[in-house]
Amino acid sequence: MVLFSKRLNSIVAAVFGLALCAHGAQAPQHVNINQLSTTVEDVVVPLPNEIFGALNKLGAVNWKEHVRSDEEPNFTERPRIALLLGTVIADGFIAVQAEDAPAVKDIGQRVLALAKGIGVGNSITPHAKAIIDAADKRNWANVRQELDRTQNSVQQAMNEVHDEKLSQLVSLGGWLRGTEVLTSVVKQHFSNDGAELLHQPDLLTYFQTRLQAMSEFNLPIVHQIQDALVEVKPLINIGNARISAESVKKVNEITTRLGNDIIKKD
Amino acid sequence: MNPFAKVLLCTTSLLAAIVVLPSAIFASVDPTTVYARAFALLAAEPYVEKGFHVREDYWAGDLASGERKAVRQQLFKGNEYWFWLGTEVDHAKVSVHIYNSDGKLAEQPDSWAKGHLAAAHIIPKTTGSYFIIVSVEESPAARTHWALAYGFR
Repeated sequence: MVLFSKRLNSIVAAVFGLALCAHGAQAPQHVNINQLSTTVEDVVVPLPNEIFGALNKLGAVNWKEHVRSDEEPNFTERPRIALLLGTVIADGFIAVQAEDAPAVKDIGQRVLALAKGIGVGNSITPHAKAIIDAADKRNWANVRQELDRTQNSVQQAMNEVHDEKLSQLVSLGGWLRGTEVLTSVVKQHFSNDGAELLHQPDLLTYFQTRLQAMSEFNLPIVHQIQDALVEVKPLINIGNARISAESVKKVNEITTRLGNDIIKKD
Repeated sequence: MNPFAKVLLCTTSLLAAIVVLPSAIFASVDPTTVYARAFALLAAEPYVEKGFHVREDYWAGDLASGERKAVRQQLFKGNEYWFWLGTEVDHAKVSVHIYNSDGKLAEQPDSWAKGHLAAAHIIPKTTGSYFIIVSVEESPAARTHWALAYGFR
């Protein structure tokens, strides 16, 4: 709080500075990407609704058919809970797309239970409550924001106790579920623009690199995901070429299989 | 709106931005990063009213004057994005620009820089990786903390 007070003067002064006129920033028209030696390593994984929003603009999607409300088994292994938590948060975004208030509320409770299972329940309780309240009011923008906050708070809490790898598994679980639904939608009504949304090679490489550093998580599901990403990579990493309907179908088969493995006991 | 009212509104907004930051951030992150992020969120605020979902996750770091760094980010065709850069250092000048994977400037002409805040706007023509280059043009500090947030609609 002392630091806060000290900074208050400079914040107020800074805000006065906003009276200055904005100017168009001059930037070089071209940079040599290969010479950008100082690249930030941190990766912000896109939220499922970032992809769903783009998909929605290509045509009406029947999101209700993708809402999942199965009860998951109780896992004891923390990596499995982390993967499942990411998947369930992604399910929350799907339920929001479908504007399915009961499903959103149910997912809010499941997220809380899973967060407790990996010891970060305290930081999630207010978000779970906010999700349920916003779903009651059908305030979908707030539900989306709270789901984002939930994922962020889970990951912050894990990072604080140096569980960064579990935090990455939460992101991975969400990405896999998002990709499963994306490919399912595009497979039903194929378009080149829809298939192009799968063009995420750097993200795939990011997850592969992170999984390679998780040798301590010697679980079948982790190995299955590693093998699956090897299968997926050549289907979506095709440079400037178009991703074919056949590739979309294959990625859907792979991610659906993994999705089932994530929610079921070995 | 008169200038005093504008300043008052901005001050209130910035304080609100700091207050709504998740408590976990205060617990685990350097306070200067918290302030830098508060400024980035201040820049984002008008866009929230236009329907942009501002991500909770963000990038942060510090740079010397004249230095730059690149953030790689996956963007999706069909969406519209704004990236907001902020620092808490008074009298610093920062900038942010977006390039595609070929290194070609890809941002919209309404991207802007205003002292210690800057923003870049992109409507991606293709889905894929983009480079967001943040730089500290001038600063009285040896190292200037920065935070970069983004939003989409």
